[in-house]
Amino acid sequence: MWWLARRIGISLLLMWVVATIVFLALHMVPGDPAEMLLSTGGAMPDAYAIAELRERLGLNRPILEQYGAFLIGLSQGDLGTSLVDDYPVAEEIALRLPRTLELIVAGTLLAVAIALPAGTFAAVRQGGAFDRVSSALAAVLQAVPVFVLGTLLILVLAQWLRWMPAGGYTPFAEDPVRHLVLLSLPAVAVAKGLAATIFRMTRASVLDALSRDHVRTARAKGLTPQRVLRRHVVRNALIPVTTVLGLQMGTLLGGTVLVEYVFNWPGLSTPLLRAVEARDYPMVVGIVITVSGLFLLINLAMDLIYAALDPRITRS
Amino acid sequence: MRKLWIPGAVVALIVLIAIAAPVLPLMDPIRQDVANRLAAYVPGSPMGRDEFGRDVFSRLIWGARSSLAVAFASATIAAVIGTALGLLGGWFRGVVEFLAIRGADVVLCFPPVLLALLVVTLLGPGTATLILVLSVLYLPGFIRVSFAEVLSARSQDYVEAVRALGARTPRILLRTVLPNIAGPVLVQLSLAVASAVVLESGLSFLGLGVVPPTPSWGLMIRGARATMEQAPMLLLWPCLALTVTILAMNLLCDAVRDVADKRGGGGAKKLRLVDRLLPGLFPAPAAPQPLLDVQGLTVEIATPGGIIRPVEDMAFRLDAGRTLAIVGESGSGKSMAATAIMGLLPPAARVADGVARFEGDDLLRMPEPARRKLRGGAMAMVFQDPMSSLNPVHRIGDQVAEAIRAHRDVPAGKAAAEAVELLKRVGIADPERRARAYPHELSGGMRQRVMIAMAIANRPRLLIADEPTTALDVTVQAAILELLAELRRAEGMGVVLITHSLGVVAEVAEDVVVMYAAQVVESGPVAEVFARPLHPYTRALLAAVPDGDIEPEGIPGVVPRPDAWPPGCRFAPRCGFATEACATPPPLEEFENHAVRCIRWRELSA
Ligand code: SF4
Repeated sequence: MWWLARRIGISLLLMWVVATIVFLALHMVPGDPAEMLLSTGGAMPDAYAIAELRERLGLNRPILEQYGAFLIGLSQGDLGTSLVDDYPVAEEIALRLPRTLELIVAGTLLAVAIALPAGTFAAVRQGGAFDRVSSALAAVLQAVPVFVLGTLLILVLAQWLRWMPAGGYTPFAEDPVRHLVLLSLPAVAVAKGLAATIFRMTRASVLDALSRDHVRTARAKGLTPQRVLRRHVVRNALIPVTTVLGLQMGTLLGGTVLVEYVFNWPGLSTPLLRAVEARDYPMVVGIVITVSGLFLLINLAMDLIYAALDPRITRS
Repeated sequence: MRKLWIPGAVVALIVLIAIAAPVLPLMDPIRQDVANRLAAYVPGSPMGRDEFGRDVFSRLIWGARSSLAVAFASATIAAVIGTALGLLGGWFRGVVEFLAIRGADVVLCFPPVLLALLVVTLLGPGTATLILVLSVLYLPGFIRVSFAEVLSARSQDYVEAVRALGARTPRILLRTVLPNIAGPVLVQLSLAVASAVVLESGLSFLGLGVVPPTPSWGLMIRGARATMEQAPMLLLWPCLALTVTILAMNLLCDAVRDVADKRGGGGAKKLRLVDRLLPGLFPAPAAPQPLLDVQGLTVEIATPGGIIRPVEDMAFRLDAGRTLAIVGESGSGKSMAATAIMGLLPPAARVADGVARFEGDDLLRMPEPARRKLRGGAMAMVFQDPMSSLNPVHRIGDQVAEAIRAHRDVPAGKAAAEAVELLKRVGIADPERRARAYPHELSGGMRQRVMIAMAIANRPRLLIADEPTTALDVTVQAAILELLAELRRAEGMGVVLITHSLGVVAEVAEDVVVMYAAQVVESGPVAEVFARPLHPYTRALLAAVPDGDIEPEGIPGVVPRPDAWPPGCRFAPRCGFATEACATPPPLEEFENHAVRCIRWRELSA
């Protein structure tokens, strides 16, 4: 329990660090932040607009006061309003976040469901046909950037074969089947990088586990090969796989931004990209903090899974 | 090496083309020509024109240039700054370490694309922004790698030595430490470049990276999306270029990492499997059917340097209820022989010849399922290192119960209760509580008791114990041996005890087999062999080692490696009695219940 409390404490601390960095980012840029946000190309922005933006962002106030207000707002879930349309950032995020989460969960489940068994099988039959084909496929998948895969999926499945819609979104309540059909391609795209990594890691750690002394002990007990594999190889091999899964989550979240864009999936990336282009600072900050928080949360969850898998962690 | 060469050549080719772009006879990549919009082929444009009538081929090559320029620039900046921070942090520790390592941790709190987008919002898109963001993103990798390497280098002899010579810190860091961490940093650099190509193209694809009209693969894919129906090739070319580049870079990274790892000294592992061996000897004609009867057992391992034989023509006989010790130095083959009998040889090794009859049935020719039923059932084994031999992620009670249920169809609850009984039987105090513990929560002696409990779970008739006390404290060793002896008496098991300690042999065994360089050199009843050793090796063992422990340096010299055995008597290089006659291989001479492999044994014992 003490371990858990400590781990949660660290997550909160990191969250605070993230918020502080994001806050400071605006003040670390050279020159006047308001002027910089308004500048497009070489043209000097209008002085009145600058003054107004300074007022809006509270840049006139002392920096500590701004920081205090920022942290208080954050702790109450108030992320300010969009510079573009005055819409509350938190509400926009509340609307979009579930859709992004759905995509992430679907992609992760898909990746794990395919890559874990495939990696195990490839390791057990090391050097066999399946191992060689799937290892090569994993290497290629790892090399195809996520937006390239997404675009190609659309080109082949939607444009040429016309099996699938090219993208879009229908709420589940409205039409569950269409919702899932529309979810499938983006989920595959999100899953691809993770699946390739999990496959390679599973294969490597199963191979490693197979050579361990305790596996010899298990065989010396006369256990069936299946049971040796399940209880003494895969179970142990899952530990390093979990670590890698946690490390990959940052890449996965970034990939999700691209996938949502490619497939017109109306998650967080639509407002994010729009805001980056319009240099809508509060919106970008809100989404970056939310997704980074999500990232820290996922890592916390991974640590818990890790601890559950490896008794040596919590107990020592 | 091929693994390094092919992707290396591909990457080098791409880099060369990108560098040479300005001098290649290419069309202007940004000149628009609306008349030839989306043309599939125009003279001089083998890949056609894009949505603004620009030459696709030329844009592909110039695109490589911008991607690679960004990737190499940011990876190099990150490498220089990150390695410097890591070096300083690792060398000076204290505040510098705190800043470097915590700073790296902070960067790692952000998903990379999100951090990049935040910076793009503030600074606006462009090549300079990209390079800045990417170098920040890859800093942590370099800091951590070089930090870790410096920490380990600091304590190493060569660094200690130059420090002792009075070298100054910057000089040590640059001249001594840096070259030695070059490998890991190079691996990190290749990873960073490959990853930067991916991120750059992704951001450009979103329209937030390289600014148009500068050609970039990400931008080309972005532009071609709108026209993918009319002109799919426009989309496919940059996709292909990007994927092939990243694939080649990834493969190169893997290869570089393998090479760097190998230099780190992974070579020792293979030899260790190889350098064990064990000969055997003929036992007395006692019971009509011995419990275990091994004849001519030979194990082969195929190595790059040819086939070696860690066990050659091994033979011994064990009757029920007796203890036979196999004794020899590391590399004599004694453990390999035991694993061969159990059917647990590592994949590289195979039984080339011989029989091993367990209660009359030849184990070596038995189908695997039948043999599996015997393993852990009628014949069981205890291994040397109880820590690594227990699975760290399962409770010990479960691991013992699993041994029970592998052979008997009992319900889980009953097996668990029986496991607790077994733990009690092997002398573990408070067995109910200990059954719920994990291996790392027990002491070494207790773990070995657990291993023994697992081995005796199904009342085996044969127990093979491979150096069961070597990994344990001296004080615990006697207790474990006593436990084994007690169990043997109570259960009537036959025990094969593999050991390098003559003291252990004298204490618990009735018969002994002495092995040297894969062969049995002498065997017989312990009392007789110890009182009247016939082989010079046995004599040397007994004479030169007052405490009864023949490792590590009881006798001058070491057991020769299996690939370098002397042609005649294998003990000759270390033998004080060697003569020219010893250059021919001596046979194993058997008489009554004693056997010896030495040409001169008669004259020497006279
Ligand atoms: S055969 Fe010769 S070298 Fe070998 S042990 Fe006997 S005396 Fe020594």
